[in-house]
Amino acid sequence: MRIAPEISSLIALPNRIPPKNPVSKGAAFLVLAGFAVLFAVPLYVMIVTSLKSMDEIRLGHIFALPINPSLEAWDTAWNKASSGFTSAGLKSGFWNSVLILVPSLFMSVTISSICGYALACWNVKIGNLLLSLLLVCAFIPFPIIMYPLIKITAFLHIYSTSFGVSVVHTILALPILTMIFRNFFSSIPSDLVKAARVDGGRFFGTFFHVILPLSPNIMIVVAIMQITGIWNDFLVGITFGNVQAFPMTVNLNNITQTQIGVRTYNIYMAAAMLTAIPPLVIYFLSGKLFIRGITAGALKG
Amino acid sequence: MVGQRLEATDRPVRWQRFFHVNAPTLAVVPVFLIALCFYFGSTIWSVVMSFTASKIFPDMTFVGLRQYARLLNDSLWFLSLQNLALFALGSLFSLVLGFVLAVLLDNNTAGEGFFRTVYLYPMAVSLIITGLVWQWLFNPGLGLQQFFRDLGLKDFVFNWIGEKDKVMYAIILAAVWQSTGFYMVLCSAGLKGIDGEVWQASRIDGISKARMYWEVIIPMMKFTFITSFVLLSIGAVKAYDIIVAMTNGGPGGHSVMPSYYIVDMYTNRRFIALGAAGSTVLLMIVAAFFLVIGLVNLVLRKRES
Repeated sequence: MRIAPEISSLIALPNRIPPKNPVSKGAAFLVLAGFAVLFAVPLYVMIVTSLKSMDEIRLGHIFALPINPSLEAWDTAWNKASSGFTSAGLKSGFWNSVLILVPSLFMSVTISSICGYALACWNVKIGNLLLSLLLVCAFIPFPIIMYPLIKITAFLHIYSTSFGVSVVHTILALPILTMIFRNFFSSIPSDLVKAARVDGGRFFGTFFHVILPLSPNIMIVVAIMQITGIWNDFLVGITFGNVQAFPMTVNLNNITQTQIGVRTYNIYMAAAMLTAIPPLVIYFLSGKLFIRGITAGALKG
Repeated sequence: MVGQRLEATDRPVRWQRFFHVNAPTLAVVPVFLIALCFYFGSTIWSVVMSFTASKIFPDMTFVGLRQYARLLNDSLWFLSLQNLALFALGSLFSLVLGFVLAVLLDNNTAGEGFFRTVYLYPMAVSLIITGLVWQWLFNPGLGLQQFFRDLGLKDFVFNWIGEKDKVMYAIILAAVWQSTGFYMVLCSAGLKGIDGEVWQASRIDGISKARMYWEVIIPMMKFTFITSFVLLSIGAVKAYDIIVAMTNGGPGGHSVMPSYYIVDMYTNRRFIALGAAGSTVLLMIVAAFFLVIGLVNLVLRKRES
């Protein structure tokens, strides 16, 4: 950049380039490893605590490995833990989360991908207007639309049902997902779409036969982003669900907050692990695609 | 007979033609309506509500700015705005740390994938879990405080979660743990985007690495940082789950933030108009902030080209 002109005459002297300093490299590794330990500590504490008995926890050695590791707390958390309303453990919350996730994933991806495709590959009169509207939508804080959404879902008779939670998740995801799909489909060579149109390809025909086969990656990225986002959501679930339809995160929070007296941290940590496992599995299996998913989804707000 | 048959088949054909010609527009309409009704309509509704006397139920009695006056006099709302500023400033630390980790990863080849995986996994779990784990770690009798006391530091005090002037630091620490990996990824992408020639040039010129980062690389990454500021501020405005799981606003309301205040108004305290007024103020803060960021972005891009 700035320095480039001055040194351009020297570029023919590769021997002058000093070798990378091995000492600083080792130091970098040590610092990185130190931070890795710090970042891993909470997960480690979660796991060891969940395997201990309460007697052992009361000894106060939070980092110690369990003396008699047992899965009893996991069993209690899954089957019996009381959430204030019922004593059915986390498993009902797990199924509620699945029941919320599947329709909202299907609805949000279908609507936004077709809309993004229309915006990217066809001439839509209100296209540019819609894109700027969506950009504003992505920045509107949820609390300001929360109460009206409660009223609207109540009017539609889906308030306090798991389908209502799915609908709200879909609404909240649409602006960002539409923009993501629109940007991706814009990068597909327009000649392909034109050729399909000349061949008599109609709107949906072109979408299913030309566009979709080219976009498995973006579909996976969006799916990862939606699955982890919806699974980890708390506020929408507690606001728009009800006792029978609360997702796992709400269930977990109820288990930890409604108990009177002894706080059974082994059960809390087992419950937290159970809730964390589905997204963690996706995270460890999907690697780079997960990173792309959360980077793309970060604007969701 | 013939004429009738033609008419009967003609109508579906006409509809088909209509769908064929207008399919792209029809595909856009649902999202357009959702944006208008659920986002813009709802926002207007909330703003209107903030000028009414609504308590448990919407009540269209116009009361002017009375709810805003109420907000101004509510020390809890004031505290929540203070906490918002503190949280936004504190969570800058995840950007700083994320940048440092990205730079270190850039200079270190061993185990890059492993480190990345470890730094980023907190991002995959719910903030409810983050809050719960850190609440456990901060447990005064059994958590980190006790651990350090057992090591021999008898008077060690690390009870941030229980002290009203330190509770926000506990929440910020948990939030930084959660999001640092994400900012590391953003900064890594920014660093990878920098031309290798820049580095070669600096080496030949004998400029130290530290100086290179400070004087050349950081200015070059300004758009990465602007994106990060936007995301950090969105995170601060959204902060809700982590408060619920860690402190539930306590002790004595000292960890309440605006989202928490507003949701609490709507769901527990049942004061719709006050919640609407709070969310309108929040919206104005957000709009002002993004206006400034957008202008800075525009000026920088103009200067670039």
